[in-house]
Amino acid sequence: MVEHTGGEFVREMMRWHFSPETGSPFWLKRAETLDFDPLTDVRDFDDLGLFPNVVDELRDVGVRGLIPRGYGDEHGAAVYESGGTTGQPKRVMYAAEWHRRSVEWFSERLDSHGVPRNVDWLSAVPSGPHNVGAMAADAAMTRGGLNFSIDLDPRWVKKLLAQGRTDMADAYTDHLLEQIGYILASQDVGVLFATPPMLERLAQHDDLVELVNRKVRAIIWGGTHLDADTRDLLRDEVFGSAKLVGGYGGTMMLGTSVERPGLGDDEPCVFDSFAPYTTFRVIDPDTGQVVPYGERGQIVVHHMSRSALLVNNIERDYATRIAPVDGGFGDSVADVAPVASFGDTTVIEGVY
Amino acid sequence: MLSLDVLGPGGPYRSRRQETIRDLAGNTVATLSLAPSLYITRAIKSLRRAPALPVDARIAAFAQAARAFATQPIAGLTVQEYQHTVSAVTGIPITVVRNATDDIARAAERIHHSVENARPAGAVSSWRDPRTRDGAAVWTRRGAVFAVHAAGNHPAVHQGWFDALALGYRVAVRPSRREPFTPYRLVTALREAGFGDEGIAFLPTDHNVADDILRHADFGMVYGGADVVGKYAGDRRILPQGPGRSKILITAEAEWEPIVDTIVESISSGGGVGCVNATGVLVEGDPSPVAAAIAERLAALPSLPATDERAVLPVQPVGLARRWDAYLRQRAAGTKAWLGGDGIVDDLGDGSAVLRPAVHQLDSPFAEQLGMELGFPCAWVAPWDRDAGIRPLRDTLVLTAVTTDANLIDDLVAEPTIANVYVGDHPTPWMEHGLPHDGYLAEFLMRTKTIRC
Repeated sequence: MVEHTGGEFVREMMRWHFSPETGSPFWLKRAETLDFDPLTDVRDFDDLGLFPNVVDELRDVGVRGLIPRGYGDEHGAAVYESGGTTGQPKRVMYAAEWHRRSVEWFSERLDSHGVPRNVDWLSAVPSGPHNVGAMAADAAMTRGGLNFSIDLDPRWVKKLLAQGRTDMADAYTDHLLEQIGYILASQDVGVLFATPPMLERLAQHDDLVELVNRKVRAIIWGGTHLDADTRDLLRDEVFGSAKLVGGYGGTMMLGTSVERPGLGDDEPCVFDSFAPYTTFRVIDPDTGQVVPYGERGQIVVHHMSRSALLVNNIERDYATRIAPVDGGFGDSVADVAPVASFGDTTVIEGVY
Repeated sequence: MLSLDVLGPGGPYRSRRQETIRDLAGNTVATLSLAPSLYITRAIKSLRRAPALPVDARIAAFAQAARAFATQPIAGLTVQEYQHTVSAVTGIPITVVRNATDDIARAAERIHHSVENARPAGAVSSWRDPRTRDGAAVWTRRGAVFAVHAAGNHPAVHQGWFDALALGYRVAVRPSRREPFTPYRLVTALREAGFGDEGIAFLPTDHNVADDILRHADFGMVYGGADVVGKYAGDRRILPQGPGRSKILITAEAEWEPIVDTIVESISSGGGVGCVNATGVLVEGDPSPVAAAIAERLAALPSLPATDERAVLPVQPVGLARRWDAYLRQRAAGTKAWLGGDGIVDDLGDGSAVLRPAVHQLDSPFAEQLGMELGFPCAWVAPWDRDAGIRPLRDTLVLTAVTTDANLIDDLVAEPTIANVYVGDHPTPWMEHGLPHDGYLAEFLMRTKTIRC
């Protein structure tokens, strides 16, 4: 993959995905129903807004149709799925070269945070069809570590919580913590990769916290949101001896963005994407316009690599728009949080 | 502007996330820190580890906190500033807030009455009591940490958790975001008076985290509407405090004219915002003259800003007032309006409005509106007869029964869903320190054990 200017990169990606020799069956067919010509009308990042958001089509499209022909038989494709909170999950294909590149970039970012190499990992992140588990395993290996993992099915937990069965969800979480505890106690774990809810649950167990603080030198969190106050507490009060590094990613962005290194404790957690392949825009949802730096808006994700073209995907998340690092593309995002709705106060009987 | 920090076991905690508290005119009055879930988990754990103060120290600390609460500056606010803030934010008349201040202080000073009265007569309060030598019942706590989702409708509701603290529980108070000032002041006073940072905590949270406080505590109390009562009905660790649905019953042989003052006071004292304010008035015989008389009296109450010395009615932001009004009219459809039928909103012109009293007459004691409790003086007057019996009187916090019928009184006292029965000319909001409000909280929090030394 070649990186020149943003425009050159965008045009190169259009050529790849919309040329009959290299594009995927999905996009070549989909192009017939577009009211613009990606090869001539899409010249730069700002033109990506022409594309429809196709992620919902990924719930039932045949994944083989997503593989660009340009790879021939050498795609090395792996299939991953979205969280699947609402209905049938969305599926995407990671070509081997993209997965490798994504892991390498992730690993470089961990270096910039001072995360040690040649230590073993404990990955308490979703496994199975979720990319983050594979990312953890390969990042650990790339960095000279073993990866200890647990089975973690987030869909089952979400289903339990949606049904109000918190006792069952608690029992499942306790089961996960038990698996984590066995590994922490018996193995020399230097990096803990976990979702924020798992870290919060872990924090309730003094014996596990003690093990983490004794052994773990870096905690990587991702997969769900972590509010700034909880992040402060985890860093300052609970896991005082480990370095915390956050990621904000998702299957539909084909990877993760990583916390910007070098910021002070009082600064917000800023995520830089793996540009130019994955870029963010922070927009005003009412107007579709990009908000000024420092203002909050909804996150739009563009992913363009040879592996996939998934642009103009409006996430449910909101964030503060931050300038990218020098020479970067798109926006960086801070204080990412799910959509918060504040409805009208309704009348509830009674005086309380 | 005030900054209300979380008051946790490690001292004050200021979150990045801040909730803005505004007065009725929309001016920012305070910012409130909101504790995240992880903070709550750790705070309750610390409370659990903390030792309980000895009983004498607890009683002494309550007395000292009472004096401070009612007379001294606390966290930079004088009593007058505190009272004005509560009135300006909640729309509760200033005199009601002042009375509540005194009431809270008295409740704290006399907390030992409440605890002593609740103790089973045969039980001693410590294993060190000499009576345990031959074997005695000793009154003991069933847990260590008590949590409360407090209400914000009236400052005095915070007396509701005093007993838990006095009994030696460590207490976590999640304030209502509508009125955090009273619990902030109280908790600060109690900490300074001797309970310390690990004895009592002020833990404001957003809605999502609220349940965590209850989950980690041993026992909890939650104020709310019928939805809240339903939610916790199956949880034996939680004591829901639902609508009061207080009522007055006047039987045929009783004269109603001499007690019109009492009825009006029951409906409207304290601004009518309490669970002890009467909602239903049941009359054996024709209820019309009673409805007419109380409507006439309530109509005379003035519309004034809550901070006015003469204010007696609650004030709300005008938008919220209009929603209450629309809701009332929708629910009152088909009833006879004696007062408030053409609206209860009296716009003060500054973005707020007085909620004026409403009196409606129902044609049956079983009309669903009878138990409809709203946050202003709002009464439903209905006919009652012996055939209806005590069924329409169930689910009542305070029942004033104006009757001479001892058999009926027997039935009312025996009815498990009626929490308090006042026979004769007593207003429903009457309370006395040391007497149970909805049973003694100790009935929920304590048990006896046989100890033989």
